Amino acid sequence: MKKLLAILMCIVMISCGLSAVAEGKTTVNLWYYWENLNHQAELDKIIQGYNSSQTQVEVVASYIPFADFKKQLSIGAAADMLPDIVILDNPDHAAYASMGIFADLTDRLAGWDGLQYYFDGPLNSCKLDGRIYGIPFGSNDLALFYNEDMLAAANVAVPTTWDELVAAAKALTTDKVYGIAMSCLQNEEGTFNYLPFQWSTGEDSYHINSEGGIKALNLYKTLSEDGSLPKEAINWTQGDVMNQFISGNLAMMVNGTWQVPTMRETVPDLHWNVTYIPKDTQYASGLGGENFAIIASGHVDEAFDFLMYVTNPDLIATYIGNFGYIASRSDVASQQFIGDDVMQLFISSMQYAQARGPQPEWPSISDALSTAFNKVITGIATPEDAAAEAQATIDGILQ
Amino acid sequence: MGAIRKLVRSDRIAYLFVAPALLYMLLLVGYPILYNIVLSVQNVTVKNINSGEHIFVGLDNYIRLFQNGILSQSTVNTLVFTIACIIVQFLLGLLLALFLNRYFTAAKFVRGMMMMPWMIPMTVTALMFKFMFSTNVGIINQMLLALGLIVSPIDWLTSPVTAMIAVITANVWVGIPFNMILLTVGLTTIPAELYESASIDGANGWKSFRHITLPLLKPTIESVLVLGFIYTFKVFDLVFVMTNGGPVNATQLLSTYSYKLSFSLFKYSDGAAVANVLFVILLIASLIYLKFTYADEEGK
Repeated sequence: MKKLLAILMCIVMISCGLSAVAEGKTTVNLWYYWENLNHQAELDKIIQGYNSSQTQVEVVASYIPFADFKKQLSIGAAADMLPDIVILDNPDHAAYASMGIFADLTDRLAGWDGLQYYFDGPLNSCKLDGRIYGIPFGSNDLALFYNEDMLAAANVAVPTTWDELVAAAKALTTDKVYGIAMSCLQNEEGTFNYLPFQWSTGEDSYHINSEGGIKALNLYKTLSEDGSLPKEAINWTQGDVMNQFISGNLAMMVNGTWQVPTMRETVPDLHWNVTYIPKDTQYASGLGGENFAIIASGHVDEAFDFLMYVTNPDLIATYIGNFGYIASRSDVASQQFIGDDVMQLFISSMQYAQARGPQPEWPSISDALSTAFNKVITGIATPEDAAAEAQATIDGILQ
Repeated sequence: MGAIRKLVRSDRIAYLFVAPALLYMLLLVGYPILYNIVLSVQNVTVKNINSGEHIFVGLDNYIRLFQNGILSQSTVNTLVFTIACIIVQFLLGLLLALFLNRYFTAAKFVRGMMMMPWMIPMTVTALMFKFMFSTNVGIINQMLLALGLIVSPIDWLTSPVTAMIAVITANVWVGIPFNMILLTVGLTTIPAELYESASIDGANGWKSFRHITLPLLKPTIESVLVLGFIYTFKVFDLVFVMTNGGPVNATQLLSTYSYKLSFSLFKYSDGAAVANVLFVILLIASLIYLKFTYADEEGK
């Protein structure tokens, strides 16, 4: 019996070995975190296209949930068990680049004519100390979504300023419907949705204890105290907010480009539209999106070959819209979504979109900011106290 | 041959038998603990984890973390959470154990059913309670509103005090079966004759519970309480899923705080320091437990 088992084991091992040899391809592992099934299918299509286009490299993608992604990457770095390519959230790029796990692509990209077309915001998020550690995948930004029927029924005009926003949200709030919501999670997602308000006052990301920062926190306070902004938003992801909106529980929401394909598919009959996030002194939006990065200890050459394939402008044009993303390069973006008013608003909003970071300590700064507006929404602290406390943390990090 | 016989007779062979277990403990339990302690007195963050330039900083991490307040708050939260959970789940578990220890037809079936919460994966329980405690669509608010007990929905998971009550409730629900089953086992070891002769002497109900059940159940009660403390003190998944430590650290436990420091903020040394605070408190609880067990065994 034992002998039989041993023989069987040998056969299995040899045949496994043979199949790998027969393929003769180098495996390049890729990690991403898109939970959206459309996104996964699109990515799969791109990878299949690449794998069948040549005989040297086989790209294999693995889905890691967003909540676990940073953890897996950190553990992988410590244990030396990383993939070859990652598609990651752009504000985290600098932190990992400073960890030294990403390959420096500056020299490889020096002769690439594609680089000049990339927008500054997304490209800067790939940089650390002037060196380039990745290529933007695609970009998205935030806007104000509103339910046209609800606004019409309440006879409310589309708000463009904070005062109008507060008044509109209050007027739209009923027993069953909240006037407005945005993700207020105490993490990067919440910060992403909060910062446009702080920026709108003319303030930057790093000075919350300022006239502008406190004003932005006061806006959250007013919306929350009016009952227009559900307190539960502190536990809502952007996906949760979108689900509340399409279920008719919200009259307005702040959300991103990538929700549009899903909303069109799920609720084709809902009358909604988008506008710029209402402003204090200037319009602002959050620049989001993902970047490709190559792991320095992996198959860098093969991974770079894949990157050159997927960042081909003609190919980008075929997939980026299906992700609900705006291309990070101007030559493709200018040809996107022609005749699509909703997406045109997002493209136009890009001019006001600011990036978070790049700053290796961004996660800690983001934590200080999100703690501040969480304290304000829950009423644990006044905007002034919350801002002062967050500022002390941020100053401690930046000094 | 003679040498082997000599070895077998001597005590030294005993060390040989425990060697595999000892090696296993050293590698898989001892090493991580030691490593965590070393990590907590260094300055390892995302910037230098790979470079190896780890500077010794002494107790700076501990001092700084206690000064900034969240560590103290998490410690208090963890104690409040643990003690509240233990008291409630122990009392309810004891009542159920006493009730189900009577011989009626459905007793076995009901006891089996009561084990269900213990079988369900913690994450599922957490999600279930998260939905139930939701302000607008949660069944708990709907029921309270329908019964007229409250006028407007309670912000269960988004107000500091009620969030703590909500996570305690969920954990008690999970913990009751554990308490009940251990206490039931304890109850079955009490000879029925004791109750019979006591009832002949006129002791019934409360008296026989006070003078027979409680004293004889004491060793079991001690174990249940200390084990319950250890299990509850290191709860992570339930709180992580239900509130993620929020709103604003109101339900931040040592376990969730350590996780946040290490894996959201990439401050590995700080995360290790918090984990060590958790470890020290649990170590004390374990020593107390061992003392109880020794005392009981010697008592026999």
